[in-house]
Amino acid sequence: MRPILLSGHERALTQIKYNREGDLLFSTAKDQHICAWFAHNGERLGTYHGHQGAIWTVDVDPTTTIIASGSADNTIRLWEVKTGKLLKTWDFPTAVKRVEFNEDGTKLLGVTEKRMGHLGTIVVLDIKVDVNAEQSDEKVMTIVCDESKATVAGWSYLSKYIIAGHEDGSVSQYDGKTGDLYYNIPVHELNQQITDLQWNSDRTYFITASKDKTSKLISAKDLEVMKTYSADTPLNSATITRKKDFVILGGGQAAMDVTTTSARQGKFEARFYHKIFEEEIGRVRGHFGPLNTVAADPTGKGYASGGEDGYVRVHHFDKGYFDFEYEVERERHNKLAAEGR
Amino acid sequence: EDAERISSADVAVVEARRHLLNEWYSWHEQMQEELADERAALGLPADPIAELLEAKTAEVAPGGEEQVIE
Repeated sequence: MRPILLSGHERALTQIKYNREGDLLFSTAKDQHICAWFAHNGERLGTYHGHQGAIWTVDVDPTTTIIASGSADNTIRLWEVKTGKLLKTWDFPTAVKRVEFNEDGTKLLGVTEKRMGHLGTIVVLDIKVDVNAEQSDEKVMTIVCDESKATVAGWSYLSKYIIAGHEDGSVSQYDGKTGDLYYNIPVHELNQQITDLQWNSDRTYFITASKDKTSKLISAKDLEVMKTYSADTPLNSATITRKKDFVILGGGQAAMDVTTTSARQGKFEARFYHKIFEEEIGRVRGHFGPLNTVAADPTGKGYASGGEDGYVRVHHFDKGYFDFEYEVERERHNKLAAEGR
Repeated sequence: EDAERISSADVAVVEARRHLLNEWYSWHEQMQEELADERAALGLPADPIAELLEAKTAEVAPGGEEQVIE
């Protein structure tokens, strides 16, 4: 499983996103441009220039027509995937830390940073997935996070809920249409920030990553914590694999001393856990700094990680990965096969 | 005796995993059914993305045919 190294960024990676088909990868970093890559060979499709600050976040619509990005320059921007053309810029009073399209790409949420005189918010924009359409300036909804700022957020199935992860370690469920808060539940240790929130394919559950060194699998409908994965390092990102019941966690303590052995030898690891049994099953090392973002290929063929070291590593799973099964999983597959399912 | 103890521990572990696996899949199947019902009740297509992709394909190649330029 030799990874492909993508070196198109000069600064720390902030987020990686696959498109729905898993053939393209979009990456953002603190170096002010977005990169698009072909996942199978790591060739660069293009870059998207225009932001005037670190870029914290990127997402691609389900038809791979447009991407949205959020930046420290206090804007959300919309871009045409194919040409790199900037289609729209929305201005905010503070940095935008997270953007996410809903399941049909007609709405985009943005998480804005808290700063003196400004509370953190979650804003919603109406989107036309059409590169020739005029995009609306108007924010259709603003959720103000007056308790603890949101650090990450996303859309559930049917765009029914907006789920947010907060700085204080709690998770909130808001109505996707009205923005009313239904629940706020402390799922991680108090004041241990939630650093990532990613969905399964039908958006009925999601995974969080936290500085408290754990990751949780949570039901979108009632915020029930169904699984917990314990690591030995603060976590920055977590993703759910398709085809196999695994999750991948990324993190690591920033090396204060650059001569630290782990940094010199590329020992920062992506950790694989069994999604259902919560057991760690393997690690993949390689980065020279903490993993800031991990993403699973939606077709199940591989995953990518982005590090504080400025590299993206794209991995394609080998046969051993697909063959690996617990005894009870094999038993279940055989039973389903026998029933013709 | 030791072998017996180990094997009974193994059986317990396997039994626990089997339980977890069944519990997980029954939860997710139930969730998927609920979701399908909600989609149907709202008059939404079963797969939210399939239609979008079809529309995009139709736009790129009108009439669903490749345009051949001679």
